[in-house]
Amino acid sequence: MTSRGTPSRFLKSVLQNGVGRYICQLKRVSIIFSKNAQSSLGVRDFIEEGVVDYAKKNPGTVVYVSPQGSRIPKIVAEYLNGSVREEIVTSKTAPQISELLTKLTNQSGLDIIRIRKPFHTDTPSIQGQWHPFTNRPPSIGPIRPEKTDAH
Amino acid sequence: MATGFLLNRGVLTLGIHCQNVCRNVTLTQIREKKRWMKAYTYLMAKKLKLEGPPPPKPRSQKPNWDYHAEVQAFQNRLHENFSLELLKQAFVNPCYLKAESERRQELGVDTELTALTLKNNIELCVKGETITKTFVADWCRASFPSLPSEGVQSVVEYLTGVDNITYVARNLGMEDLTMSAEFPVPERVLYSTFMAVIGALQESSGKERAVFFLRDVLVAQMIGKDIFDLWTVVNPMGLLTEELTKRNIPLPEPRLIRSAGASTVLPLYFVGLYSEKKLLAQGPGETLAAAEEEAARVALRNIYGFSENRKPINFSPQQEQQSTAQAISSN
Repeated sequence: MTSRGTPSRFLKSVLQNGVGRYICQLKRVSIIFSKNAQSSLGVRDFIEEGVVDYAKKNPGTVVYVSPQGSRIPKIVAEYLNGSVREEIVTSKTAPQISELLTKLTNQSGLDIIRIRKPFHTDTPSIQGQWHPFTNRPPSIGPIRPEKTDAH
Repeated sequence: MATGFLLNRGVLTLGIHCQNVCRNVTLTQIREKKRWMKAYTYLMAKKLKLEGPPPPKPRSQKPNWDYHAEVQAFQNRLHENFSLELLKQAFVNPCYLKAESERRQELGVDTELTALTLKNNIELCVKGETITKTFVADWCRASFPSLPSEGVQSVVEYLTGVDNITYVARNLGMEDLTMSAEFPVPERVLYSTFMAVIGALQESSGKERAVFFLRDVLVAQMIGKDIFDLWTVVNPMGLLTEELTKRNIPLPEPRLIRSAGASTVLPLYFVGLYSEKKLLAQGPGETLAAAEEEAARVALRNIYGFSENRKPINFSPQQEQQSTAQAISSN
């Protein structure tokens, strides 16, 4: 679909995050996997080795590990602004899953749609935005086209 | 047995799977396409259309919830050290205590044995509110020294108003942690929870850290805001003349500077305000009166320090501010 047909947004941050202190926007990660199925092999490896390190490195995120009888292993990430993202991790290896988790950690919860401009500023102009009257010499009398002397 | 023989004949044709749980018990399930599925889905969709979507459930009632872990993650996320007891107390609202005790009475549980030992957050809320309002007013006066008291008042009201505070609290993840009687949490309850958390922060880590937290979270909402959005001034020209008389500057005279399209549907006039033949400010407008008012507003913004190209708010981290203050005092 074209960019006009799909939704888009401007670049922004949640609550001006980063201006004051940086608050990690990921509040909760739930890893849903199966104990025996072969599609969650990577998830099980990640839980054996990598998940505790991840949880220690991100003390602001709660990590829930829930083994269920589901064939499709999922990672459900909840963000501070309320949005929930589900990523399906069937047949992914443990390093791929940790990469995915770092990607989710670094995101804010805003929608993943086209960003119209890759920049945003609250002070677009320091010396004053140009308008057609800036730097225009003031006129005395009515404005007429200039008469050239050499005819 | 005969039944076992009859059942197992269906394995290949009908797709019935049999699992022997023990000698006399067999579990059967049909894993292929289920004939009742279409009717069931249609019925559920019809029910949804009739009754509307189900009411929202608080996060604590959905799977995967550990309150203690969530509270700890909350304080780690904000890079603050709370005493966990105070923080948990800050999230308990009096409406929740009332609702819980009523529920326990209804269920017939003995109130003596299972009394609710939770304290509510009213005192913390009051403390937090006083700190917030005094800090925001002080910050406003310090950053914009020439802003009059009504301007300061309107800024404080905007920043500490229920709307702004609930927006901030929702985006910090406090709605999941608040214990209140109703869900979705009403705005006043969320407001008092936020104030109680600030009070708890002040009690645990001291006033300075609470003040820095407020600066990072509340004052940041002032970025990109214009004073006249927050403060409705009916007569900017009168206000400007007052300000200039206070500073002993001669009163402004409006003069038309530029004009374009005077006889069209969208005329444009630039009016400049001159005091003693020096330009104070100029502003555009569709009519002469509108342009004069806009010029007065621009002049007021320049006087109060709220112009668009003002220096951004100082958000440097705590240690750097302390070291610069020490350097200045030692010099």
